[in-house]
Amino acid sequence: MKSVIRASIIFALLLFAMACSPESPQSTFGTHGPVAELQKNLFLFTFWIAVVVFIIVEGGIIFLTFKYRKKDDKLPVQTHGNLKLEITWTIIPAIIVVIIAIPTVLAIWETQVMPNEEESLVIEATGHQWWFEFKYPTEEVVTANELHLPEDTDVIVKITSQDVLHSFWIPKIAGKLDMVPNHENQLYIKADDPGLYYGQCAEFCGIVHAMMRFRVIVHPQEDYQDWLNDMRTPPAKLASGSDEDEGRKLFVGNCSMCHTYDSYKKGAYTKEIDAQYNRWEEWKKDKENSAIVSAPNLTHFGNRITLGAGIKENNYDNLVKWIENPDKIKLGTRMKNHAVIYKEENQLSTEQIEQIAKYLLSLKPSSESSATYNK
Amino acid sequence: MSTISKPKQFGLPRLFPRPMSHYGIWSWVGTVDHKKIGTMYGIVSFFWFIMGGIEALLIRLQLSHAEADIIDPELYNQLFTMHGTTMVFLVVMPLSAAFFNWLIPLQIGARDVAFPRLNALSLWVFVFGSILMNISWFTGGAPNGGWFGYPPNSTVQFNPGNGMTYWVMGLNVLGVASIAAGLNFIVTIINMRAPGMSFMRMPVFTWMTFITSILIVLALPILGVAGIQMTADRVYGTNFFNSEAGGDPIFWQHIFWLFGHPEVYILILPAMGIVSEILPTFARKPLFGYSFIIFSGAGIGFMGWFVWSHHMFTVGLGPAANTAFTISTMFIAVPTGVKIFNWMATLWGGSIRLTTAMLFSIGFIAMFTIGGLSGVTHAVSPSDAQQQDTYYIVAHFHYVLFGGAIFAIFAGMFFWWPKFFGYFLSERLGKISFILMMIGFNLQFAPMHWLGLNGMPRRIYTYADNMGWELSNLAATIGGFTIAIAVASFMINVIYSMRNKKLAPGDPWDGRTLEWSISSPPPHYNFAKLPEVSHIDDWWYKKYPSLLEGSPKGDLTPKAKVEDTSKVNESDIHLPDLSYYPLFIGIGLSLAALGVMYTYALVAIGLILVFWGSIGWSTEPVNEPGQDHH
Repeated sequence: MKSVIRASIIFALLLFAMACSPESPQSTFGTHGPVAELQKNLFLFTFWIAVVVFIIVEGGIIFLTFKYRKKDDKLPVQTHGNLKLEITWTIIPAIIVVIIAIPTVLAIWETQVMPNEEESLVIEATGHQWWFEFKYPTEEVVTANELHLPEDTDVIVKITSQDVLHSFWIPKIAGKLDMVPNHENQLYIKADDPGLYYGQCAEFCGIVHAMMRFRVIVHPQEDYQDWLNDMRTPPAKLASGSDEDEGRKLFVGNCSMCHTYDSYKKGAYTKEIDAQYNRWEEWKKDKENSAIVSAPNLTHFGNRITLGAGIKENNYDNLVKWIENPDKIKLGTRMKNHAVIYKEENQLSTEQIEQIAKYLLSLKPSSESSATYNK
Repeated sequence: MSTISKPKQFGLPRLFPRPMSHYGIWSWVGTVDHKKIGTMYGIVSFFWFIMGGIEALLIRLQLSHAEADIIDPELYNQLFTMHGTTMVFLVVMPLSAAFFNWLIPLQIGARDVAFPRLNALSLWVFVFGSILMNISWFTGGAPNGGWFGYPPNSTVQFNPGNGMTYWVMGLNVLGVASIAAGLNFIVTIINMRAPGMSFMRMPVFTWMTFITSILIVLALPILGVAGIQMTADRVYGTNFFNSEAGGDPIFWQHIFWLFGHPEVYILILPAMGIVSEILPTFARKPLFGYSFIIFSGAGIGFMGWFVWSHHMFTVGLGPAANTAFTISTMFIAVPTGVKIFNWMATLWGGSIRLTTAMLFSIGFIAMFTIGGLSGVTHAVSPSDAQQQDTYYIVAHFHYVLFGGAIFAIFAGMFFWWPKFFGYFLSERLGKISFILMMIGFNLQFAPMHWLGLNGMPRRIYTYADNMGWELSNLAATIGGFTIAIAVASFMINVIYSMRNKKLAPGDPWDGRTLEWSISSPPPHYNFAKLPEVSHIDDWWYKKYPSLLEGSPKGDLTPKAKVEDTSKVNESDIHLPDLSYYPLFIGIGLSLAALGVMYTYALVAIGLILVFWGSIGWSTEPVNEPGQDHH
């Protein structure tokens, strides 16, 4: 019997050895924002109550099972019940539930009521199959798969979707909220510390749901202003005849119907919103054959950390592979299914693909003053 | 009597005579006997249990390490969709139905259910509905939109293949089977109890079946409505769930979970009933707090209607809705807790025999408790915003549905196998199965708690290697294969025990309820003489009447014996006759459903079969001419 107990203890310890590590990039325990913090504390509060109940019940079951094992043929005392006991163990769980319910209800109203919109940063997050679009309406900035936030600022994320349901989730900063087409949800978030955080879609959204991720870069206040300025600064002029310039021509000819690359211009913001809407309408008209789909904005793509919606590191090799055949990295992208360059007769040469990659990586604000987040 | 001319039979040309034989293959095809129907429910749903298990193993293989390339994402999505759908609709529900069928007439002292042919119809509709849904594997892809089928991802616009249409048509057909069965058991339990068996003298399993049946009859039509709307959206281009045309995809979530949450209790209440029969038998004392267990079961069934939106805490319903559903969800913990404490008190002071059935039952309480506690942690809706759609949820509901329902079903199989088939399953092999399953189950699902809290979403077919998820996933995969070995050991047990029959007497466990008062296996008429009931656990007190006065003193030799059927003249007992029509209606319904996707000719053939079957059913003579009535 002792050996059974010992084995169970070792087994339990083994399981706990795998347990929660706040360091892992999407741990809900390594929190860096008040919302996630509150959610974690509430969880731990409930968790420790559950642990006490767990020990009493599981300990009780094991104790009773061994203590009252059959010893002889005598029939045990035939008890049918006990009203006092029944009332006791109806009331005790009810009291425990009330104890848990009070901070829970307070927390619901604390996290789900939005702060004053005038004093907060408003960001619009839109889910697409399978990438995230982020718009800063007051700043007139638009980007994709990379959310930039200032630290210690109340942020209201207005969340919606263009196609199916998605979910917006940055585990270390706040719990998730679903992205619903033709419906706006609002999520309050606030990031405490500058740094790089991971986000991921949490609502099943089709074939490559697993590959719909994003990164969050939290800046110190002044760096955030620099980032905004960068987003309005054009990239350096390309020397004509260079690979980058050839790449630019190819990109403008083959890719720019769907991928905007110049949202640093004045007035580009409203133009991009219209463009993205029109692309979507165009695709819906002829889903099979449309050569146009809504696609991530590539302004200053050279500064992005990842490509393919948080899937691969954004470097030359990966980018070439991505342009060659996105399916090899991420199945089912609309780019692969709709872009003309993947039709037999229009295929690009390896050289052309490399030129496009070089061009895309050259897309950086020309004043290299301040973009520290990428170093 | 023979001088009176028989009333003229009107009706259809008689293509075939009403089946009569109680032996051979045709006796199974045309059977209306609740025991044969129960056995067929058991076999078919165990087959789907193996299929659903294989689907789970493939999922676990793909997730065993980061960036694995074993299953492609499309197949992966089909696998988890069909794993969930199979385990809920084709395994746990019909396995429970197998127990309802076998046990309810035996426990209430009846010869069959109220509507035997309707019972056969439920079986055949379920069988062909389950086949219909799985045909999709061979016709261009199984359903891939998740067992919850959320639009817009499940709409034609984003999911153009036939997979999700198979899914929704399958659910439509299966719903018919469930609703018919639910009605049948409600009527059976209300009307066919043996004389003296008042409601508060019914066995707990019968009670839980009664509550479950009510839930089925109320909940499945909701799924039916949702299913018809989705069918219309997919096949006829309506816009119930299309927000671009004024519909609402969230509307689907409300109706799906308004069905889906009571469904959770449809899955677990029969398991609670099974355990409530086994614990007192092997602790050799009455169930502690019978009436509290019954009423908390009813309470759970009732409260289950007011909690559906806890599946939707992150949809953005707003703080008021989330507060309401948080509170209602938390309070379900109270009746659940009452049950657990009563089961523990049943063990208290008992004389416990650790048979395999008892081990699985105790395992049920232990594992279900864990699932219940994690359930409370995500009733806390703010922290659920972190847990929703992560592996934490997967861990939770497997503790409830596998550690709960499946453990109890295994307990029930070991407990009632000797009653159903007249021989024991091997206890030694059974204990091996239990230990393997306990280890495998915890190794698979405990690490999923940490995975979820470490931010691993559900339904992702791959993950990066820097996420800190690899060790837990590997453990879960090893656990999954351990469960597979446990299930294999159970199947070996069945074959071994069938070949080396250790025959069982009528009352092998010193049982408490009426099914143990007849021989094993029961004769096809069940009770030669209908029993009269004067207590809860009536059979127990017929055996030990001295216990009615209180403590176990005095004479404890059994005063009652298992019913002796050697002198029964079977022809004196009237039993419902066999019928082929339920089978035809079952085939017809699934053909018509299949036709919706392909050709109206098939719909027409299917519906003709259904109508012909229904008319044949209602006009078929009670007996073949020439046979005596009783």
